[in-house]
This record gives sequence, C-alpha cells and structure tokens, in this order.
Amino acid sequence: MWLDDGGTVLASALRLTAPLAFAACGEYLAERAGTLNISVEGMMLSGAFGAIAVGSATGSPTVGLFAGALVGLLVALVHANLSHRIQINTFVVGLVINIFVLGMTSFLLQTTEFSRSQVGVLRVPGLAEIPLLGVLFEQRWPFYLLLLVVPLTWFLVNRTRWGLELRAVGENPQAADVSGIKVNVRRRQALMWCGVMSGLGGAYLSVGLVGSFNNNMTAGRGFIVIAAVIFGAWRLKGTLLGCFLFGAADALRLALPSLGVELNAQLLVAAPYLLALAVMVVMAKSQREPRALSKPFERGLV
Amino acid sequence: MSHDRARTDGLVPALELRGISKRYGPVVACDAVDLTVQRGEVHGLLGENGAGKSTLMKVLMGLVHADAGEVHRDGRRVEIDTPLQAAEHGLGMVHQHFSLIEPLTVWENVALGEPGRIDKDAVCADVEAVGKRYGLVVDPTRTVERLSAGERQRVELIKALRRDPRVLILDEPTSVLTIAESAALFDVLRTAVAAEGRGVILISHKLAEITAATDVVSVLRRGRLAFSCRTADTSAPELARQMVGRDVSLHAEGAALGLVVTDDPAKHLSPVLAGGLDAVPAEPPAPQVSADVQGTAALALHGLCVTGPDGRVLLDSLDLEVATGEIVALYGVEGNGQATLGDLLSGLLEPDAGTVRVDGTDVVLDRPGALHEAGVGVIPEDRHRSGVVLDMSVAENLVMTDLRRYSGRLLMRRAQVRAQAQELIERFAIRTPSIDAPLRTLSGGNQQRVVLARELSAGPTVLVAAQPTHGLDVGAIEDMYARLREAAASGVAVLLISTELEEVMALASRIAVISSGRITGVLDVAEASPQRLGMLVGGEAA
Repeated sequence: MWLDDGGTVLASALRLTAPLAFAACGEYLAERAGTLNISVEGMMLSGAFGAIAVGSATGSPTVGLFAGALVGLLVALVHANLSHRIQINTFVVGLVINIFVLGMTSFLLQTTEFSRSQVGVLRVPGLAEIPLLGVLFEQRWPFYLLLLVVPLTWFLVNRTRWGLELRAVGENPQAADVSGIKVNVRRRQALMWCGVMSGLGGAYLSVGLVGSFNNNMTAGRGFIVIAAVIFGAWRLKGTLLGCFLFGAADALRLALPSLGVELNAQLLVAAPYLLALAVMVVMAKSQREPRALSKPFERGLV
Repeated sequence: MSHDRARTDGLVPALELRGISKRYGPVVACDAVDLTVQRGEVHGLLGENGAGKSTLMKVLMGLVHADAGEVHRDGRRVEIDTPLQAAEHGLGMVHQHFSLIEPLTVWENVALGEPGRIDKDAVCADVEAVGKRYGLVVDPTRTVERLSAGERQRVELIKALRRDPRVLILDEPTSVLTIAESAALFDVLRTAVAAEGRGVILISHKLAEITAATDVVSVLRRGRLAFSCRTADTSAPELARQMVGRDVSLHAEGAALGLVVTDDPAKHLSPVLAGGLDAVPAEPPAPQVSADVQGTAALALHGLCVTGPDGRVLLDSLDLEVATGEIVALYGVEGNGQATLGDLLSGLLEPDAGTVRVDGTDVVLDRPGALHEAGVGVIPEDRHRSGVVLDMSVAENLVMTDLRRYSGRLLMRRAQVRAQAQELIERFAIRTPSIDAPLRTLSGGNQQRVVLARELSAGPTVLVAAQPTHGLDVGAIEDMYARLREAAASGVAVLLISTELEEVMALASRIAVISSGRITGVLDVAEASPQRLGMLVGGEAA
C-alpha cells in the first residue's frame, strides 16, 4: 500500500518535473550569460499553445512538440532584440511578453477549435517492472529528450568556447568586451537557447502530459523555473534538483486529497510558491550569482 | 639604446599612426595624432588625464572607431574594427583596469576572446611556457579572484604575450603594483623588447617611470601630439612642461606629476625640480600638529575589522588617529583596504568590530547619516558612485547632504538654496555655465570642487579625502592641494587616502601605511623615505 502510494506520487512528481527541467536548462544558460528573462513564463505558455495548435492542425503531436519549441524561440527573439539590442529594461519586456502571451492564447483558445493531440508513452520493457523506480521507464517519449538536453546544456556552458564566453559575459561584460567578445550577441544567443528549451517545456506540458491546452496552462511554472535556478545557485545539478523539489511539491499537492489529507484547495495551489519564496530567502546569501545578472551592457565612453 | 636606433633606422616601423582623430560630440579626444613605434623600442606615451591617451589606444584595439586617420603595421595599412582584428594584426594590450573575469580560472581567462575550439591542456601548457620564458610564474588552474594584484598583472601579461604580439600596449600598468612588482614588470618588458624585437607602448602619467623605462617618449596634450623625442635627449622637467603646456613651478604640481620620487631618499623633496627648473619655491610642509599635543584626536579609529562578503578580511583591526589641523595620509597600493575604509567612513558599510570616535565621542555606526552628523565630511574615491548625482543641477548637488537646512516642513526654500549655491560657486571658484546646469556638463576638476565645497560648507570636524585628485588635470590637482591645506589650517582634521607617493609626501605631516587591511607603520613625513614606505607597503616593518 505504502509502496503503491509512493510510486504514484513519484510518477506524478516526475511528470511534473519534466516541463520545469526543460525550461530550467534554458533559463540556467541564459542567466549564466547575465540575462534574466521573466518571459520564460510566456515562452512556456506560448510553446504549450503552439504545440497543441500545430499538433491538432497536422494531426501529429510530434510535429506539434517541435513547433512548440519554435514558438518559444520566436518569443525569445522578440525579448532578445528588445532588451539586448535596443536596450529596453529586461523586466519590462518580460512582463509585457507574459501578459501579451496570456491574453493572446486565451483569445485564440476561445475563437478556435482544437482537437486533442498527445504523444505516446515509451515503456522500456523490463526496467519498467522495477518497483517504485519503474515509473522512470514508463513516460511520454519526449521525457527521454532530457537525457540529451541536460548533458548538452552542461557541455555547452562548461566545455565549449561559446559557453566560456557566455560565462564571461555574465560575470564581467566590460572585460569580455575588451577581450573581443560581442556581449549582446552572446546574450541574444543565450536567450534563443532559453526560448527553444522553454518552448519545449511548455509543449511537453500540453502535447505530452495533458493532450490539450487550457487557459493559462503554465500557471506560473516559468517563475518556478527562475526560482529553481536560484535554488541551484546557478549550477545545473542544483537547478535540476530544484525542479524536482518543486515538481514533487506539486505532485504532493495533487496527491494529498486522495491520500485522505484534507486541505484547502487554494492553499494547496499556493504551496509550491511558498516553497519557492522560502528557498529564495535561504539562498539569498549565496555568492554564486553571475555578477552582471540582469545588468544591461552598452559600450560606453569610459 | 643608440644601437637599437641604428638597427631600426631605415626599416619600416612596427606601428605607425597617421592623423588619428576622434571626437565625442563637442569634445575632441584625439586631434590628428601621429605616432611611430619602431621594433625593439619602448615608446612612452605621456599625458595628463583626458589628454587622449586612452582614446588613442582604444582606436588601436578596435574598441573605438576613429573619425579619421590611418594605422600602418609593418608598413601596411590595416583596418581595425574589433579587438579580434587588432590581435590578428599583432597588437596586444594590457588594460589599466584588468580585463580579467574574476570567477574564471587563469587558463580560461587567457583563452578568452580567441576563436576556435578550446583546449584546456594546450592553454595550460602555454601559460606555463610563457610564464617560464618571461619569469611570470602563475598556476593556470587557479581562480583569478584568489590572486593578488601583482599576480593578476602577470596573467594579463601572459594573456597578451601568448598571442605573440608584435606591438604590446600597456596602459598605466603600475597603478596597482608595489615598487618591487613594478621593477619586475619593466624587466619583463626589456626581455620582450630587446630579445624579441617587439615594440612596446607604455602609457603613463608618471614621469619617473617614463624616464626610467622608455627609449622614446611622446607627449599628448589636449588630444594633440605636443612633443616627441628620444628619452635620453630630454629631461623630466622638459616633459612636465610639455605635458602641462607651461612651466611647472609649484611643488604641488611636481608631486602631481610624479617628479618627486627618486632612488635617493635624502632628495625626496623635489630633486628633479630643484635641479631642472628655475626658481622652485618650495612650499612649506603642512602644519605640524602632533596628536599627543592636541589631547583627544578629532578622528580616532580603533580596532576596525571588516570582512568581505566572500570571507576575505578587508580591514584587520585598523587603528588610526588624526588630530585637529593635521593632515594624515593613509598610503598603500590600491586594493589593500583603502576603498573599504572610505566606504566605512562614508557610512556605506558597518564594521564587524571596532569604533569610530569623532571629537572624543563614539559614533553609532548602524544609523544612516550618523557620521555625517558627527562632523565627518567625505570626498569619496569614486565621486560618480557616491559623491554626486550627475543629472541633477550644480545647486542641488551643492546642498544635497544638508537638505534639512534648506527646507521648510514640506517645501525646499529655493531662494536659500540658490543663495548658498551662488556663494559656494564663488568661494570655491567652480566654473559652471549656471547654477542650474546639470553637474554632468562640468569638467572633472569642477565636479570635484562641488564635492569639496559641499563637504567643507557643512563645517566638518574631520574631512576624509579618498584619492581626491584621481582623474584631475594638473591645475585642478594644484587647487585641491591648496584647499586641503587651507582646510587643515582652519582646524579640520584631514585624512588623505592616497596611492600616490608624491601626493602623500607633498601634503601630509604623518603617513600611515596600509597593507592587507592593517596599518603596518606610521611615519612622520620627515623620517619617511620611498624605501621605508616601500617596505611598509609590502607589509614589512621598516
């Protein structure tokens, strides 16, 4: 009995972690380059919508999934050019994008009919039989993309010249500029990666987990992703751990009523955010934040 | 270096600038500058702050685009639009404020800004090979933030030299180095020049350095090339005259230009000036008032400890006293806790332990504005960060710290503000188009006068002047010195925080030396010599 409940909660936790993990890979890389885009929420939401829209139009949820990533990239391009080309405050840009995407997707949802579209489950024979951990091997197939995306993100940031330049730009853009690195180009590129990953995360939510799109589907998960990056002190491992923590809290929230625990529903909705807040308070003193995070760079006279 | 001359004569110069001009709006930074650097030559580029040295070098490095002019390398005309192209054309630069990224390791910093794949092992091997060749030992896997200023300078040099530049540019390379570290640096330069035929441009505003380390010297003045000559054929006073554009006659100016320091401690009071210029009126040393005569010191710092956010000790039980009417200098190489102390006395940070007493009363440091109320005036090190608001008017800046005096219950008393501003502008000879002009439109010297005027008009007991002449031209420096002396004479206790030995020698009656956040010794100016101070700066007892 205990094992069954545990398995159910764990399975649900993993499912809820995956969209966060995709987007977190993107946000982690973007923040290491010194750009803090709260538009990650909008990227996820538009990705979720785009995936369903294209999935239902083409009849292929797989095409929808990649369309979702593309829509995320599009939003990222807008953010990147507004905040790292013509230097509009990144928070203002992010806020406007989030509100615009929310309104736009709600409008399109009301005016258009979408059919259900969902990718299939990939079950690894044998491994899926393992008690408790078996759930790892019985997921919607894009889940396993994480096996590719996570190491790739780490490799990009920590082993490539591009990643070295991203980190330099995030820590000290002036010095990077003097060394011959195009600061704002690197930041725009970092945002594009973030857009693709967040779009993928959002698409996983719609064509992966649910099979349809509903209004404000991401419900602040983008902000949870930002909290996860802070939780991880700007390291990928910690960030993913943070994603799992938030995913598990979310799963627990959904599981509590069926486990016989009665709690106010609204309070439960607020719980993961309360956790995010607590985590940020604890991590506020960490000294690992990229020093130029969210500081715009413009070549000056000095 | 006459044999160099013979060898390089007739050959194409390593680098030739022709008619480089650059203006920023109405300000002409460079005005048709010509400069020729031969192979195997250390070329000194001298000039006051704002003379156009930095702009010229930024043009060379592709960080700034010149409005007009040509750059020739080995006789071929080259276009330099990016730092990467500059590197391709064999130009390397060691920047004044290090271009290192602190959280990255040495090898990562060295590899930064190059194209292609990164190969950690190859870069590490390179760092060690270059280090061995020039005697610049540094561990490539260490993180830069854990290195001292001298070691960081080494990393910068390795980074530049690894790309095998034909022309190496150094911008004020000794500003953060001790005397011994500077000497080591010039040895490296000699190797790079003499043995390998590179050209070197050494930018400095320190005359002593230029005369000692260069073969040829050029002087920039207000964006124009004012003078160029073999170093051996000229003299420090001549160079000083070319730099300023008129005879240098005051001791303060001599100090400002770095004329004072020589190898001979007995001659530290302006030997070059006395020998080279006609009729140098030696200024009387600052009034000698010693702390014990006065009884309680106006400013007494006791056991101040500050730990940085990264756990580094910034101030280590620092003790210091300044008496009424006395100028005490806190001297040391940049980055040894001076900035921290300046911030502390401005009320920007609280110490972990220790007390600040003003006129015998402990100041409660955790209350904002407490130090100001206790009578501590501060000329901050970085006036743009914590001294002034550039986009507010001159008048507003002049009354900013004392708003209560100029406001009623709800509204500012505008007439009173204007009257006060007008008076201060006249008294401190601040050159401004009007009292309503934004402070940004004033020159650096006049901005600094605004800060000084405001702080002195509050009638402080103690005046803390942190690097008060940084970035000022000679005239403004001279004025600042006079004002500080005047303040001391009128009974203000002045704490001068400075990294310029000449400035300290010229102004202070006592010199306290700071090293790694500790006072390593306090000397009367009469018994202070560059050698003894140098030892204290290095952290040894003298």
